[in-house]
Amino acid sequence: MDVIHTDVLVIGGGLAGLRAALGARKRGQKVIILSLVPPKRSHSAAAQGGMQASLGNTAKGAGDNEDIHFEDTVRGSDWGADQEVARMFVHTAPKAVRELAAWGVPWNRVQAGPRDVIIDSQRVTLTEPEAAHGLITARDFGGTKKWRTCYVSDGTGHAMLYAVSDRTIAEGIPVHERMEAVSLIHDGERCYGAIVRNLISGKLLAYVARATCIATGGFGRIYQSTTNAVINEGIGAAIALETGVVPLANMEAVQFHPTAIFPAGILVTEGCRGDGGLLRDVDGHRFMPDYEPEKKELASRDVVSRRMEAHIRSGKGASNRFGEHLWLDITLLGEAHINGKLREVKEICQHFLGIDPAKQWIPVRPAQHYSMGGIRTDAHGAARGLSGLFACGEAACWDLHGFNRLGGNSVAETVVAGMIVGEAIADFCATPEGDMHVSTALVRDCREQENARFADIATSRGQESASVLMQRMQAIMSEKVGIVRNGDDLTVAVDELKNLLLRSRQIGLRSSAPGANPELTTAWRVQKMLKLALCVAYGALQRSESRGAHFREDYPRRDDAQWLKRTLAFWRDPEQRVPTLEYENLDVRHMELPPGWRG
Amino acid sequence: MALIDNNGSHELLGADASGQLVIHAPTTAPLRQPPRKSRWPARLDMLQSASGLFLALFLMAHMFFVSSILISHDAFYTVARFFEGAYFLGKPYPILVSGVVSIILAVFIGHAWLAMRKFPAGYRQYRAFVTHKNSLRHGDTSLWWLQIWTGFALFFMATIHLYDMLTQPALIGPYESADRVWTGNMWPLYLMLLFAAELHASVGLYRLAIKWGWFTAATPNRSRRRLRWAKHGISAFFITLGLVTLAAYVDLGRAHAERAGERYVPTYLNAPHTAGKH
Amino acid sequence: MISILRRKNDTQPTRRLCIQVLRHNPADAASVPHLQAFEIAEAEGMTLFIALNEIRATQDPSLQFDFVCRAGICGSCAMLIDGRPGLACRTLTRDLGTTITLAPLPFFELIGDLSVNTGKWMRGTSERLQTWIHSSAQTDLDALEAPMEPELAEAIYELDRCIECGCCIAGCGTAQMREKFVGAVGLNKIARFRLDPRDDRSNDDFYELIGDDDGVFGCMSLLGCHDVCPKQLPLQTQIAYLRRKMAVIGLA
Ligand SMILES: Cc1cc2nc3c(=O)[nH]c(=O)nc-3n(C[C@H](O)[C@H](O)[C@H](O)COP(=O)(O)OP(=O)(O)OC[C@H]3O[C@@H](n4cnc5c(N)ncnc54)[C@H](O)[C@@H]3O)c2cc1C
Ligand code: HEM
Ligand code: HEM
Ligand code: SF4
Ligand code: F3S
Ligand code: FES
Repeated sequence: MDVIHTDVLVIGGGLAGLRAALGARKRGQKVIILSLVPPKRSHSAAAQGGMQASLGNTAKGAGDNEDIHFEDTVRGSDWGADQEVARMFVHTAPKAVRELAAWGVPWNRVQAGPRDVIIDSQRVTLTEPEAAHGLITARDFGGTKKWRTCYVSDGTGHAMLYAVSDRTIAEGIPVHERMEAVSLIHDGERCYGAIVRNLISGKLLAYVARATCIATGGFGRIYQSTTNAVINEGIGAAIALETGVVPLANMEAVQFHPTAIFPAGILVTEGCRGDGGLLRDVDGHRFMPDYEPEKKELASRDVVSRRMEAHIRSGKGASNRFGEHLWLDITLLGEAHINGKLREVKEICQHFLGIDPAKQWIPVRPAQHYSMGGIRTDAHGAARGLSGLFACGEAACWDLHGFNRLGGNSVAETVVAGMIVGEAIADFCATPEGDMHVSTALVRDCREQENARFADIATSRGQESASVLMQRMQAIMSEKVGIVRNGDDLTVAVDELKNLLLRSRQIGLRSSAPGANPELTTAWRVQKMLKLALCVAYGALQRSESRGAHFREDYPRRDDAQWLKRTLAFWRDPEQRVPTLEYENLDVRHMELPPGWRG
Repeated sequence: MALIDNNGSHELLGADASGQLVIHAPTTAPLRQPPRKSRWPARLDMLQSASGLFLALFLMAHMFFVSSILISHDAFYTVARFFEGAYFLGKPYPILVSGVVSIILAVFIGHAWLAMRKFPAGYRQYRAFVTHKNSLRHGDTSLWWLQIWTGFALFFMATIHLYDMLTQPALIGPYESADRVWTGNMWPLYLMLLFAAELHASVGLYRLAIKWGWFTAATPNRSRRRLRWAKHGISAFFITLGLVTLAAYVDLGRAHAERAGERYVPTYLNAPHTAGKH
Repeated sequence: MISILRRKNDTQPTRRLCIQVLRHNPADAASVPHLQAFEIAEAEGMTLFIALNEIRATQDPSLQFDFVCRAGICGSCAMLIDGRPGLACRTLTRDLGTTITLAPLPFFELIGDLSVNTGKWMRGTSERLQTWIHSSAQTDLDALEAPMEPELAEAIYELDRCIECGCCIAGCGTAQMREKFVGAVGLNKIARFRLDPRDDRSNDDFYELIGDDDGVFGCMSLLGCHDVCPKQLPLQTQIAYLRRKMAVIGLA
């Protein structure tokens, strides 16, 4: 049997995984990173807009500090966040930005002197302070009091991911690409690594590690309309769930981004609105001020998305062959600005819509964007339920974002969590707890079990088609577990998803190519994804309130008396058809900022 | 653990049990390790360009000299004697032309040797390039192919011409050249040589400008468009000039065919007393 | 005041597309490379990403290809589209004829059908060219960051935009012939780090990495790289610039 031993196994080569690996490596641990794709292709590269850190270098960021960032984050989360984590996060974010700067991220810089910007569709002249010339600049993002989002043109995630990835190459950390973790090796108490499938040869291997860290990103692909990459299928979270002992938290908290191009679902950055872009309806009317007179287009994402959907429902949507949408107008920013600072947006419009955003409006509609929920960990990334298992990044829920994440807080979270969790992993490895006594029988059994699962699907005579089930699941999720939810729809969704889960055991393959047959891969994954979808839908059905991105028409208010708590979803018995939900209270007495008006 | 040679770029990588790549050598090793990288690749690259540039400039000048026949026989005669040093040394020394030819020949051979390093080495590389070129259908790639072939052709054709000039330096003059062109049956060679040399030189000059970033405009694409115009212009001008000149030699050669072998005597020397003296 | 919305093709009948894929599965000893044709109906706004997924879902589930971001930013989906390297995910079928030929990028290790291992090659190149900031300075994360001229930061990003898609390698005749050639992607990276003041390396150091015929002097200025780069990086000028700098080292 092929067994690979290492101190630390990091599953996921996105920003979070890479940064955590660097942290552990720096402390002398032997680290191996697994990734479905070459790490630089991870979806972190897609982050366009920027990363929040309260540097306060710019005129509009003057006076910014950790406290304000903290308040924005907690308010944005609708008090769902863990405030201890939020504190640590806002404190570390500026350091992370500077570390990245030292690693080569070409952050855009402050140009001293006057400059013209568009604020609230007015041309305004800002004068940047002389003393700040050349320091890292920031732009405006939704839901923040100060201009705090550090950026690299509109390729922030790309520049960050490349810098961090190059750093791992410099440190000689191996990345085993095209490798998919398919289950965790564990005995119900401690995690010993993972069973991994080689996506080229289709072979299964065992990676035995003292500490395992899941950083596999989000699970947007359980939705039909999503800004996420096609690899964001949430397998990392699913294999943690399938251990039966590790809970996924707040899975119903799913964020929808207001401006995905319609119908492709490709994101155009929030920076468009931050820089002064407007939302318009079928009549060309700028409607956001009617709903949100104060923050207008720059209200929290969940708010804007909901308003947009409501506006479309009120008959004000423009439409084309594929359905209804609204317009994003950035023509007023001018060609120079668009060509320089919003270049990716321009390229996306050119290539996917065939339009020039400097002259034409962009058809947009909200789409699934971010999963606040994930593997429940403590404030240092240690997963609940299994010792030796850690998680960070979008895959985890250490609970920085609560029920709604602020734009720009996520890439910041990945590197900050990477820093903190990487240290925690190294600490863990240095303690007696980090020692490991693993039986070869356990490793073999885990592998055999997984082998059997693949063999079952490959040899099944079942009649179901994996791609049909996948599409059906995605459709249900987008239609019934979307931006605006209600009890009836959710009940229907849960029932149908349960049914799909049963059907997914009857999948038969039409092809049997040697190597990693893509059909087999899909068939295997859809079973996991259905479980995640059920966690989301069932969690949403149970939560009879509205909080952050989770909005229930039938319970439109936040209900702190009943629901100031975190959902934990377990899948203890492989045969169960809905997750077991438990709840943990958020203790108001320990809150620095007690629940209040969200603003 | 076997080292994988993935197109030569994995010196530091080996395969582990998974067949995946793992790094063995510390990659943060000090940069400047003792056996310093040779400076010769840089020099050879510059020499290749310098020799090409020299040859191309020479060819332009050469075309002007040769085309002086279009002005008059005497003009060409004067140019020829000029290169034999007749006007500084009192009398013509054809050996001087041989000297110039030797220099050109040396540069020519040097350039050919340098440039041939870029030829496809072996059939595999040849196939790889042809397949690539045919599928890409890309201007500059095809131009390079043209340069390879014209260069290859020059290797033979120009050698013959240069050998002629080296061994018979005295036989340069309106009648002598025209006889060589027509009676000596050199014109087909010259015709091909003309096209090969001019195309090769103009593409070479164009590539030279791209390669070293000369004459750049505001954007790379604009500078390229400009350079491409210049290249077409140079090709067209010199090929036209060459064709007309060659036609003049052919004309003269045919008219002079019966008296082939006769040396030309300029009008200003023989006009008074050689008239009618045959 | 709504500007022209989209190109309206409603009047035209839907085209039937014939998509020919060069198929080969190296994992299967019996497999030989061959062209296989698939027919599908074109839809509005259809990209090759949509088309290939439709083919896989409805016609041949074993078809292999790589898409990740499907938004033209991750560099996974480079392939030969009618002979030219390009990103399949952002290629609209309406810009192509009714017969479309797709082949995997040449040069890179073939995984199967349209999927090639660019990542492995790119990592090797990164190691070989040491494409990371080399700095002996200790950064104090609590101190104000070192200032940088705004234009310089933008100029660095301009070169940092490479997505390692491999199109420039597939578009380069030199690379097809000489496998050790670093290609435009490698040279561009060196140019990027050379420009970065945070990198301590001197021209002499860079000469050690690219000062030979597998490096900058191997480039024959074919410019295929420049013309196919989906990010429109200024490869032509950057390579010329590096060549000048490295040539000067050769004179010393
Ligand atoms: C279009 C878009 C734009 C965004 N813009 C912004 C922004 O402007 N600002 C901001 O703050 N945030 C933004 N975000 C959010 C942010 O980019 C992500 O949340 C963040 O990058 C996630 O990083 P990660 O490291 O957790 O995961 P990812 O970058 O998604 O990486 C996941 C990694 O895990 C690997 N992996 C997955 N499953 C497995 C498995 N089973 N086995 C092995 N490996 C596996 C993958 O190969 C990949 O390497 C954006 C998100 C999207 C979709
Ligand atoms: C045996 C004859 C010759 C051969 C085989 C030959 C071959 C070549 C080749 C292959 C190149 C391309 C090199 C590259 O792409 O890097 C080249 C470049 C060039 N050649 Fe020639 N050539 C020959 C003669 C000539 C002559 C006679 C001239 C001038 C008239 C000339 C002028 C040039 C120029 C200007 C270049 C560009 C130099 C460069 O790119 O560095 N060559 N030659
Ligand atoms: C020092 C070296 C050279 C000398 C002295 C020389 C001399 C001449 C002369 C005298 C002629 C006229 C015809 C003849 O007399 O045969 C001629 C023609 C020609 N030469 Fe050269 N030559 C030299 C080098 C070259 C080189 C290197 C090339 C090209 C690679 C070249 C290309 C030609 C061509 C194409 C013609 C025909 C011109 C026409 O079209 O009229 N020559 N040369
Ligand atoms: S330089 Fe351009 S073509 Fe080459 S890998 Fe980078 S983005 Fe792709
Ligand atoms: S195509 Fe190749 S030869 Fe040079 S200019 Fe580009 S790298
Ligand atoms: S899939 Fe990412 S570039 Fe095409």
